[in-house]
Amino acid sequence: MAAANQDTTRPQNTRAIMVFLQSHAPFSNMDDDHLAHFAEHATLRFYADGDVVLSAEDGVVNRFYVVKQGRIRGERHNEKADKTETTFEISQGECFPLAAIIGERPTRTLHRAAGDTFCLSIEQDAFVTLISESEPFRDFCLRGVSSLLDQVNQRIQTGAMASMGSSISLSTPLERYALRNPIVCNPDVPVRKAVARMHENNVGSIVITDDGRHPIGIFTLRDLRTMIAEETCSLDEPVGQIMTKNPCCLPVQADAFDAAMLMAEHHFAHLCVVDEHKRLIGMVSERDLFSLQRVDLVNLARTIGTATHLRTLVSLRTDVSRLVDAMLAHGADSGQVVKIITTLNDVTVRRVLELNIKKNDPGIAFTWLTFGSEGRQEQTLLTDQDNGILFQTPEGMTEEQVREKLLPFARAVNDELAQCGFTLCKGNIMASNPKLCLSDHEWDDWFIRFIDASTPQNLVYSSIFLDMRAVFGPTDSLNELLDKVLARIQKNALFQKMLAGNALQRKPPLTMFRNFRYVTDGKKNSLDLKRQGLAPFVEAVRVFALANGVKNANTLERMDKLVGKGIFDDKDANAWKDAYSLIQAIRMRSHQEMLERGEELTNFIDPNDLNPLDRRILRESFRQAQRLQQKLELTYQL
Amino acid sequence: MLQQLRQWIARRRTGITGTIAPENTPKPKTPGDQLLSECRLIVLDLETTGLHPSKDEVIAVGAVAINGGAIDLSDQFDLILRRPELDITQTVLIHGIGPEALTQGHETEDALLFLLEWMNGDPVLAYHSAFDQKFLEKTLKAELGYTQNHTWMDVADVLPAFFPDAKTGGKGLDHWADFFGLEVSARHHAASDALATAELTLIALNKAHKEGLKTLRELHDKLRYHRRLRNIHHN
Repeated sequence: MAAANQDTTRPQNTRAIMVFLQSHAPFSNMDDDHLAHFAEHATLRFYADGDVVLSAEDGVVNRFYVVKQGRIRGERHNEKADKTETTFEISQGECFPLAAIIGERPTRTLHRAAGDTFCLSIEQDAFVTLISESEPFRDFCLRGVSSLLDQVNQRIQTGAMASMGSSISLSTPLERYALRNPIVCNPDVPVRKAVARMHENNVGSIVITDDGRHPIGIFTLRDLRTMIAEETCSLDEPVGQIMTKNPCCLPVQADAFDAAMLMAEHHFAHLCVVDEHKRLIGMVSERDLFSLQRVDLVNLARTIGTATHLRTLVSLRTDVSRLVDAMLAHGADSGQVVKIITTLNDVTVRRVLELNIKKNDPGIAFTWLTFGSEGRQEQTLLTDQDNGILFQTPEGMTEEQVREKLLPFARAVNDELAQCGFTLCKGNIMASNPKLCLSDHEWDDWFIRFIDASTPQNLVYSSIFLDMRAVFGPTDSLNELLDKVLARIQKNALFQKMLAGNALQRKPPLTMFRNFRYVTDGKKNSLDLKRQGLAPFVEAVRVFALANGVKNANTLERMDKLVGKGIFDDKDANAWKDAYSLIQAIRMRSHQEMLERGEELTNFIDPNDLNPLDRRILRESFRQAQRLQQKLELTYQL
Repeated sequence: MLQQLRQWIARRRTGITGTIAPENTPKPKTPGDQLLSECRLIVLDLETTGLHPSKDEVIAVGAVAINGGAIDLSDQFDLILRRPELDITQTVLIHGIGPEALTQGHETEDALLFLLEWMNGDPVLAYHSAFDQKFLEKTLKAELGYTQNHTWMDVADVLPAFFPDAKTGGKGLDHWADFFGLEVSARHHAASDALATAELTLIALNKAHKEGLKTLRELHDKLRYHRRLRNIHHN
């Protein structure tokens, strides 16, 4: 009764403004009374295209604005380049100038209308009233856009959570999961006594420590089973003889995700948690981490890693997709999820290789290389094969003779990987291609030609071959190769410049200032999140990384390294990492949705299918890509 | 404004009639040297039972004020008149005031008096203003015996005067609203149409400012000139 009554007691135009505000954050979370306060105290102004809305000369900011229609562009003068840069864009439903009105200072950015624009605004008095009375509004204003990013992440999680019904976050510090005061003993204790202690305490593992309480080994019930079954040791011998030495340790600051990744990679079920002096303070088991999950990462990785038949591997791929759902639900961010997918893909690739060696050993040691997104550890569910082989020619053999042995093997592996869901590479960038099954010397020659005699045509391969990683086999020869490649690129300014020019080919899908620019060759009204959204980041970051001797292939890790070297500003890099991760998150969520509908996976989305908040975040993310490209242009004077 | 209106109605109902009587309403202002960037303009829209001032009646009055070049939403007028003698089921309501306050007695007179006071004699703009002007003048005369002439300006003239080349595809409010991409919250609701008309007025005032037009008189003259020009073409 009250609510309905309230509604009709407000003038139509006040109600209309409230409805408008309600479809945008943070207003969507605010009470009606607070929205009415805003609407009743607002003035509506018009700015024609190019009109100045707010500038430093206006003095201390005393109004708070919301774009009702049109767009506002922020301009700053770049002293170095002596030109005006667009620093941000504010579109329908967005607010400005937050920092200035809260800091009670003039704005530092010229706000200009981009297109015919209407803005609602309230005076400082009304603004202060709202800040003090409305918690969502206060939260938004004080935390700025970062609280928006949180909202997007929250939404991604709740979507995936719906099917999970659990709320454990992978970002939770390990502390919360770790069992305090785990059962310990010293290495001289007989196995019998150690097992008795485990029995008394009803636990499945015991940590063996030295006098300084540093963990030196671990002994589990599984070890006991193996010991008895295989008669490797008697119960009276000291536990130090049979324990698994050098147990995996993580500092207490690490989070559940770190622990899960470490377990998945090494197939451990237990991890020691240590303090800064490496002294044992706790213990985490996979059961602690995943007690509530139906599909768990460690178990899945282990099942894949020990599968004995190809068909088992094929059937396990659906579990990977279910796991991605679960991971999103448990608060993993997109960077974490792509790493999980990559980890599981690595395990699958390794297992396929092992099974093939068992079946048909080529008899020659080799390193299995992956390129492109798998090389960068940025794979999603939609993935194809980009791989190659690096070998050292055994004495008395020619490279051609080695290839004769390796190529049929590689062919079989490529085919089996295809059955596991890794689509065959259309460009034939696969180990079974004789041009990509090369000795260390041949690879070196290949890169010399690639770098020193590059043409714009072969630069399209830079996104593949300059993001390289070993998945199987010895890594030393790859490291040597990488060192040489990096040194060569660092010396070759022309190549860098060509790479930079190439990286600028793919522009983020934004029009001058209006809206999303849709792809012309794909479906109507669709954005290609991979080529238009992620590629601008990946490619620009690659240029900076290679030019500055950063060895990592992962885009986020490259950015961290570039901050460390002082090439990227800390704040810029954080904004770029956020933007990149959010595009990735939206892409992965759309993959999961396509999978649910039984559709073929694509990287295309229609922004109109997104909610206004995601659309806005996506646009802001694309704008960050533009800024990164601007930095590239400036650095290489393109 | 609502607070003011509430107090004022309360005063009238308790018999303390205050200073406002029909003969004491604010004097209409003529277009002079008032600066467009500073003066107050009324933008108004009426809802009626039909198109003929002689037999149809006003149902609702929606109006907003432009103050110093901006629409001030704390200064608006949104009124639905109940006319029991007409067969209209619309509930009587001045927003912010309980229905019972207005169902008896002089509700229409009170509301119209308040409208005059709120208008403060400021120039009135409307879309196809001749229509609104005839209805309002008729109603004011019938209810209050009020006959003073206000300054009216037609936004349907203002827009083509400043945007002669606009390809709107028609002369209606909808055509211009579409042309500038305005979102009208509830078309044919008096207050909502008044706001849309006021938004179009802001666009025109922005253009006027850029063309060096500063005063109300200059605007008025430009409209007259434009109208004359159009009549020549029509003849």
